[in-house]
Amino acid sequence: MKLLVVEDDETTGTYIARGLREEGHAVDLVSDGRSGLIEATSNPYDVLILDRMLPEVDGLTLLKTLRAAGNHTPALLLTAMGDVEDRIEGLQAGADDYLAKPFVFGELAARVAALARRPQSQEAETVLRALDLEMNLITRQVTRAGQVIDLLPREFALLEHMLRRKGRVQTRTMLLESVWDISFDPGTNVVETHISRLRAKVDRPFDRELIQTVRGAGYRVVA
Amino acid sequence: MPLRLAILLVGLFTLVSLVSLAASYAFTQSSFEQSIRADLRQDLAGFRAAPNASAVALLVEAESREADPNRLILSYISPSGRIYGNGAIARSDEGFQIISLDKERAQYAGAYLSLTDTLYGGLITVARSRAEINALGAVFFNILLLSLLPTVLIALGGGLVLARRSKRHVEVVSRALERMTGGDLGARVVIGPRWSDDLREIGGKVNQMADAQDQATQALRQVSSDIAHDLKTPLQRVALYLDDLERHQEDAARREELLGRSREEVAQMGQVFQALLQLARVEARGARDRFERVDLSATAATLVEMFEPTAAARAQSLRAEIAEGLTVMGDRALLGQMLSNLIENALRHAPEGSDILVRLVREAGAAVLEVVDNGPGIPEAERARVRQRLYRLDRSRNTPGHGLGLSLVDAIVSLHGATLRLEENDPGLRARVLFPA
Repeated sequence: MKLLVVEDDETTGTYIARGLREEGHAVDLVSDGRSGLIEATSNPYDVLILDRMLPEVDGLTLLKTLRAAGNHTPALLLTAMGDVEDRIEGLQAGADDYLAKPFVFGELAARVAALARRPQSQEAETVLRALDLEMNLITRQVTRAGQVIDLLPREFALLEHMLRRKGRVQTRTMLLESVWDISFDPGTNVVETHISRLRAKVDRPFDRELIQTVRGAGYRVVA
Repeated sequence: MPLRLAILLVGLFTLVSLVSLAASYAFTQSSFEQSIRADLRQDLAGFRAAPNASAVALLVEAESREADPNRLILSYISPSGRIYGNGAIARSDEGFQIISLDKERAQYAGAYLSLTDTLYGGLITVARSRAEINALGAVFFNILLLSLLPTVLIALGGGLVLARRSKRHVEVVSRALERMTGGDLGARVVIGPRWSDDLREIGGKVNQMADAQDQATQALRQVSSDIAHDLKTPLQRVALYLDDLERHQEDAARREELLGRSREEVAQMGQVFQALLQLARVEARGARDRFERVDLSATAATLVEMFEPTAAARAQSLRAEIAEGLTVMGDRALLGQMLSNLIENALRHAPEGSDILVRLVREAGAAVLEVVDNGPGIPEAERARVRQRLYRLDRSRNTPGHGLGLSLVDAIVSLHGATLRLEENDPGLRARVLFPA
């Protein structure tokens, strides 16, 4: 993918750019809002990664200008210390996702990947599959290797979310937002305990691991 | 202000006194005149009782000899043209005058009221002096001088003294305020025993404000130093891990462990900052503009379900007793954060095997949210302090957490106009959030 990073802190910027290049992306890095605006309008990017506080033109203004000009490239907004208000403001300005500093690189990479693929796979599926697991969305029955697995409604929703994004990393905060509709950090390892319960039902009795842990990032269902 | 008020009151008092004095003067004067006129009529009636003109003349002669011409003038002009009595009315260019009947024809000073009538072909005149009425004017003037003037002077003087005193008292307040503005937070208004009630109240309020300000500043200082202390420890640890990492680069297992630990410490520092910033935002109260109707029942149910596996992992039971359809005006994310902090606190501080209950009920038309545990609870004496930032019970020093959870709960609760009560559950803690009706 072709990505644009607009970040004024040199250390953070080069670190993000290097990490994303290592993941196989083509990355352009600029350090102020004006150059960001010029780059974003003159090149076809897959995802924009914008710092909120920037010299010359700040991230929000950059984004609003782009959207007003009809440019709808998916954008991820980075900001110091997330807060509900910042989040709402960012999303209103046209950001597709939002990430608070300090973040770990895994979270950033997972969100960038999710953004790039967001418009796809909207077709109405009735059965989701991974390895030998099948989830029937109509009968709401889950089977693995022919065995019926009983899931609680939230476990079903969690597994469905991950199956729909098979092969892609889902971070803790992404799961909290999508599965529980929670935009604050509940602190303790609530997601981990839910995942481990789900694993106990869909993974432990079988030989191959369906839900994988991605260190420093999150979880993914094997493709 | 007291001076202006005193002048106004004195003016009003003077005006009312003068008007009433003038009215009673006019009234007294007219009643005096009437009584003099009545006397005159009576005098004439007495003379009419005489049988003929010579008898009248004799009577006038006799009585006028006794009478003081300055007070009473009697005269009778007989049909033959002779004048009897002690004076007569003469007409000159300047009007009527009363003159003596001796050779000088002297004029009597002073005003008289006179009555003239015909009697047995002659003309009888009786005149009485108005001196008494004129004396009345002097009496009233004296009343004015002796009673009104001292009152006015005393009132004005008192007003002046009060005004000067009140000015001094106001200066005391304003000096204290100036010192506070200048940064002397210890400055207070020293209220004197003779201060007026309103100044006392203002002084008291100024002192209250100064106390609150002082406390807030001290709390801020305390928090700053606590934060510095709280962050020094994890920073020190990360420095040690990095140092260790440099010396053990070849040992893969050791490297992984040190990296993991460093990451945890940094994440912990991030959480402290995040919580402090969120606390500051909540306390700034900007979120109130975004308040909407929040389904508290649904939020509570989601959170209980979310934390249930965490509780189960610690062999704790997390139960819910949630009344359907309870809503409050508020910020959904903050309310969720608040309940999640309360549940987390209970899970963290109650030992394995304890019971935790999340209860949402309607009491007297208002929503009441409770998180009840049967853990160790919080000692009575510590209950106020646990709401302070970064404060942790001694026994909690080694459990995870940054001592900001309850501060945030407290701030969110008060943002929503609700009340947080920490009560004894015998054993354990009952945290109650009482929402406004």
